Amino acid sequence: MSMDPMNRQVIDTHGVSAQPHVPDQVHPRLPGGFNLPPFGIHQVLAVVIVCIALWAVGAIWLGLQAANQWVGSWQQDIHIHVYLSDDHGSAAGSADKLQEALQTISQVASVRRISAEEAAAWMQGWLHDADLETGELVKRLPLTFELSLTDENAPFLFDDIRDAASRFGARVNEDEVNLARAHYWLSKASWLVWFASLVLALAMALIISNTLRMTLLARADEIHLMRLLGAKEWFVRMPFILEGMVLGVAAGVAAWILLWPIDLFSREWLLTMQVELSLWLLLPALLIGGGVVGTVGALIATARVVSAETAA
Amino acid sequence: MSCKSAGCNALLFCHRIALGGIAGGTCTSSPGVTLAGVMATVAVMSHEQPLIQMQHLMLRYPTGKIALSGITLEIPQGQFVYMIGESGAGKSSLMRMFYGGIRPTSGTLIVQGLDMRDANDAKVRDIRRRTGIIFQDHRLLFSRTVFENVALPLRVQGWQTERLIPRVRKVLTYVGLADRLWSYPEALSGGEQQRVAIARAMTANPPLILADEPTGNLDADTARRVLDYLMDLNRHGATVIMATHDLHLLESHPGRVIQLHGGMLAGDNW
Repeated sequence: MSMDPMNRQVIDTHGVSAQPHVPDQVHPRLPGGFNLPPFGIHQVLAVVIVCIALWAVGAIWLGLQAANQWVGSWQQDIHIHVYLSDDHGSAAGSADKLQEALQTISQVASVRRISAEEAAAWMQGWLHDADLETGELVKRLPLTFELSLTDENAPFLFDDIRDAASRFGARVNEDEVNLARAHYWLSKASWLVWFASLVLALAMALIISNTLRMTLLARADEIHLMRLLGAKEWFVRMPFILEGMVLGVAAGVAAWILLWPIDLFSREWLLTMQVELSLWLLLPALLIGGGVVGTVGALIATARVVSAETAA
Repeated sequence: MSCKSAGCNALLFCHRIALGGIAGGTCTSSPGVTLAGVMATVAVMSHEQPLIQMQHLMLRYPTGKIALSGITLEIPQGQFVYMIGESGAGKSSLMRMFYGGIRPTSGTLIVQGLDMRDANDAKVRDIRRRTGIIFQDHRLLFSRTVFENVALPLRVQGWQTERLIPRVRKVLTYVGLADRLWSYPEALSGGEQQRVAIARAMTANPPLILADEPTGNLDADTARRVLDYLMDLNRHGATVIMATHDLHLLESHPGRVIQLHGGMLAGDNW
């Protein structure tokens, strides 16, 4: 004799005799609870579509990662250099007046005058001790002003600097201006990337939700029957939520694998700009993102699974 | 021997009747397998408390149609009850109310000690776990094997797979289908499919079995065999309520006959 787990009945194991031999080796796929439903063509298609969307998100984030590395240290400490050529600098008081004019610009935190000797020494270092004639360099290098900025995003800041410089015949390092602006546009772009990621995540959740909805409709009888038998709601819905999560994670892994060719094909070119992408950073993001998107899709799909006859 | 089972409330005293010693219950299709071996005990209510009580029961659908009106009945534990009446008489509606598929509009309906008008979802689920349901179209899952179909009520109740297999084997042996454990329902005849549905209804050993026209699609011989199984379950303590149009079965397998007509009680012959 053995007792069942709910202690409601006693099963007499001696009651059965001469059972036909049917093997136990077949693994039953029992519905409900933590058992995943079988995967079919709809699920494969959902993984492919979500994978493409996640791949697009991953590629956008890789691009942002590369751009951020390219801008590099400029992001933290942006300086703009203004050069005053020797011809104009020799004019009495020009350098002092230029420094004064630059300091009046409200977004300029400080103006440091760099002597030709200091600039020559810096250039020697930058050119890896190219053994240039320092005296000659000093004669040829212009007088340099290094501007520290409080807010490089302020409107008309660079126009004001250019105006001040041009009044004294000086010129601004436009490459530095472009990099400062790149930083501004990158910070704007990161918001756009977040927004695009959210929109794509919503689309992915709806794709998974639609796929699961089809599965739910195909298995409406099973759901209906489980409710008639007294199944709890979590028991009925859990397989679909797990399925959504698995679909999302599978799509995330596939998208991550498909991002490697981008890295492999662009690696050499990016190294010339001192950019080195890290795909491993994207792996947890794609896995978690895929899982979350799949789970949200499943929750949307199972939010209204009504079996009219079984409504308690 | 008496006890209070997890699902019984204060009104519902549960008696465990050891059926191992009860004679009979041998089925022709599976000699040697006694129902006593499959349903060794059935949780039953006290004889003082009817299994089902109805007083002035009324059901009105949202469309305004009155499906049942003024039904007052008591069904004690252990009865075999036929529910007859023309189509639309209210048989199926009444059966659906017994497992909480629809709630009464007014009146009282107490099933296994639970007032179905006020019962919350959890309590209705508990009632469903203690009720076996057999449908005319049997509602087997054709994408699932016979084993998976029969195991479903136990799976819902949290049984582990290892424990399910011997239990399902035993129930299927009782209905003579032990060799079809891993077959799919579409490979079975109509009678075999209905036997699988019976196996599914009895596998959790419920004290109440509801059968909504289970013989409607079967020939006379197969219908009689299905009735044999239901009678056998009833002899061993289960209360069986069966809606049917097959009046000839009432002669071969006698039981209490409740007749409905136009949603009202038209007759009750014990």
